[in-house]
Amino acid sequence: MQDHRSKASQPLSGAGIGLRTPHYRELLARARCVGWLEAHSENYLGDGGYDLHVLTRLRERYPISLHGVGLALGSVAGYSMDHLRRVAALVSRVEPALVSEHLCWGAVEGGHFNDLLPLPLTRAALKLMCMRVTQMQDVLQRRVLIENVSSYVRFAHNDYEESGFLNELAARTGCGILLDVNNMYVNQCNHGIDAATQIEAIAPDHVGEIHLAGHLVTELAVIDHHGARISDVVWSLYELALRHCGAVPTLIEWDTDVPALDVLLDEAHSACDRVDALECEVSCVA
Amino acid sequence: MSLDRLQADFAAALSDGDAASSLLTALDPCDALSARRLGLYRGNVHAAWDKALVNAYPVVRALVGEEFFATLARAYGHVHPSASGDLNEFGLHFSAFVHAHERTRSLPYLPDVAALEWLVHRAHYAADAPLLARERMAVISPHDLLAARFGLHPACTWLQSRYPIATIWRAHQSDADVVLPATLDRAECALVVRPQWRAEVVESSTAEIAALAQLRAGNAMDDAIGAAFDADAKFDFAKTLVRWLDLAVLTEIY
Repeated sequence: MQDHRSKASQPLSGAGIGLRTPHYRELLARARCVGWLEAHSENYLGDGGYDLHVLTRLRERYPISLHGVGLALGSVAGYSMDHLRRVAALVSRVEPALVSEHLCWGAVEGGHFNDLLPLPLTRAALKLMCMRVTQMQDVLQRRVLIENVSSYVRFAHNDYEESGFLNELAARTGCGILLDVNNMYVNQCNHGIDAATQIEAIAPDHVGEIHLAGHLVTELAVIDHHGARISDVVWSLYELALRHCGAVPTLIEWDTDVPALDVLLDEAHSACDRVDALECEVSCVA
Repeated sequence: MSLDRLQADFAAALSDGDAASSLLTALDPCDALSARRLGLYRGNVHAAWDKALVNAYPVVRALVGEEFFATLARAYGHVHPSASGDLNEFGLHFSAFVHAHERTRSLPYLPDVAALEWLVHRAHYAADAPLLARERMAVISPHDLLAARFGLHPACTWLQSRYPIATIWRAHQSDADVVLPATLDRAECALVVRPQWRAEVVESSTAEIAALAQLRAGNAMDDAIGAAFDADAKFDFAKTLVRWLDLAVLTEIY
């Protein structure tokens, strides 16, 4: 256990970017160009091969965060211990700085939707999520972060606001919160839930990472497609989140029409600039 | 409504747009907008199916065209829905599905091409293994060579077909070194290897495959050579051994 801890990579700081296949070669070829990288765990569950090889090589140069998209923790049926064991094997192999998953469900008996489906924010859902997060932390032998998701529909019956649900989950299980500012904004657009109020209601001490991404405005709904630059309104909410939580490591996510690496790095620099501005503000006040 | 009932209703609405009425009563607002937005989730499911199969079956897609491939992907997903949070496992039954699909009957080689692509897809994620050093082979006596057993690379697999599947596969690569044959009624054996990081297909023979099957079963090289000669009296062992080293087929000697 002691040995395991000593080998774990340094904690994340500053801004990171999502590791995507089109950037493999360039990231391998150039010197370290960003604070850290976040990989989707499900892309690296194989026994070996090129993807794991690249991740292992980059792990030598960058702190890595492993972000799960497939556990579907809030699924009543169809939740897979086998999948959790595969994630655990990857975590042992990569020894990442952080491991995260989502506040969502996604599977039923005999079928997985491979999507981050919204949970009703009820006491029953909280109880189930607490059980699953506890199990995940027990199997991985480490604290995990749980991320708020965007949604296109909202349930009529909720016992909690999203922020209150996440705070309770963190308080009861010891997990951290991965605050996705874009998802908060998307839900504001889709359901009229005020994002600023939600962000300020999150217990700041639990927040271990922030996600930023672009979204797509359509006639039907705002979609967090992760395929554009971060919007001005999301940057403003990010500044609010920084003032509320402090300088939390921040990820730039891009999944649709992945652009040149430099575009992601540019967004990462924009995030760092805002952290610097905040720190300057704080020190001036002090 | 209980959480499991709600998720079962949500699942029903994702599988069939006409089955959303039960879920809608649990949504706010319970209106046409929510019903239409459920369609976004259905679209996500279909997009995930399509993306996973496009990734695993690029040659099948090139052979049938993007549009029909998308139709096939959706039909496949309804019959064999994803059973794992790992979408790389989604295409497991695609060859059998294509085989049973009546609209692909005019392309009788398609199921075997799909089966080959699945082997390539799995080979991409197969465990790494140290390569057998040529120096080891250079110093081994003929007697010891015949008595030796060899480990095969986990990515190494093979497939025999009534159709020229290796040639079809190779003709569809960006660095294609062959063209599609005019007639596709020739039998072929395909060997899947991963000499660098990229899984590849090379044309093989019944003799080579007979030999590899012996080695994979843990039998000695002597048995492998015997099986190869049974399949083809003109089997060239020396040439095949060099090829196995070139293609990283052999990993260990013991």
